[in-house]
Amino acid sequence: MHIPDGFLTPAICIIMYIISAVFLVWSWKRIKENYPRSFVPLIAVSSAFIFAAQMLNFPIAYGTSGHLVGGTLLAVLLGPHAAILSMTIVLMIQAIFFADGGIFTFGANVFNMAVIGGLSFYILKIISSGAKSQKHVWMGVFVASWLSVVLGSLACALQIGVSPMFASAGGILMTVPSMLFWHTIIGIGEAAITTSLISQLQRLQPTVLNGLAILRREVL
Amino acid sequence: MKSYRKALLLIVIFLIVLIPFASTFPDGLERVAESLGIAEPEPLWPGLMSDYAFPGINNPYVSVLAAGVIGVFLVFSISYVVGYVSTRKHKQTNE
Repeated sequence: MHIPDGFLTPAICIIMYIISAVFLVWSWKRIKENYPRSFVPLIAVSSAFIFAAQMLNFPIAYGTSGHLVGGTLLAVLLGPHAAILSMTIVLMIQAIFFADGGIFTFGANVFNMAVIGGLSFYILKIISSGAKSQKHVWMGVFVASWLSVVLGSLACALQIGVSPMFASAGGILMTVPSMLFWHTIIGIGEAAITTSLISQLQRLQPTVLNGLAILRREVL
Repeated sequence: MKSYRKALLLIVIFLIVLIPFASTFPDGLERVAESLGIAEPEPLWPGLMSDYAFPGINNPYVSVLAAGVIGVFLVFSISYVVGYVSTRKHKQTNE
């Protein structure tokens, strides 16, 4: 879902840079207020894992692949604000060193993956509020991570759809249905991986998520 | 810090094991562009290790692995520094 340079018109690039910058400033402020320094290694390890996981595409169907984006995974591990910051760093390294995602389209990529990924925390919160069982929470994780990919792809479809390169090929009437079609499927992979990783982590290293539970009360 | 060294090692092992199984099919967005007959433009910035290939290594597995390991350490270090700068020095007083 990394948009390369050239796919977006300059106006969209600028607008997305501004919107993402607002979310980054907000995240930074909330991190400064709420996150203790002891949290830093978890942020760094989580970012590193997401980078590695994003390298590993899994085939879905008809010669198409997807990879874990990991926005919801980060949001569950780190909370929404640090998740946005962490994913932004991953995207920045990818753009600078690996030409994965453009430089001018960086703002859009941050919005589609980091911001929407981080904010999926609130989707999870709404779904699993008052959850009586662990199963209910895992279901919330599944739905939130699926939605984070589908909504991210919708944002991407709108951005490319209104840009001239895709406008001449049918614009959003073409890009929205086709992006949603593929990412509905890719999202299932995302959701399955996210849910199994988090439930395994809860089983093997419950302290990681317990630490978050405390933080979660502080942050929200 | 020790447990994080272990976590990084696990991430590297994760790459060593899974890179051969990674799909090279186009991803969702690339597929959509392709089906609409849109060619990906030449990147304005070629990156230092474009397409996750470490330059000068012919073996594709080793090349991708090297790029991946470098990327993991870059992301870890920069996240650590940014995390350090962005977090509070002292623990919250009500704890």
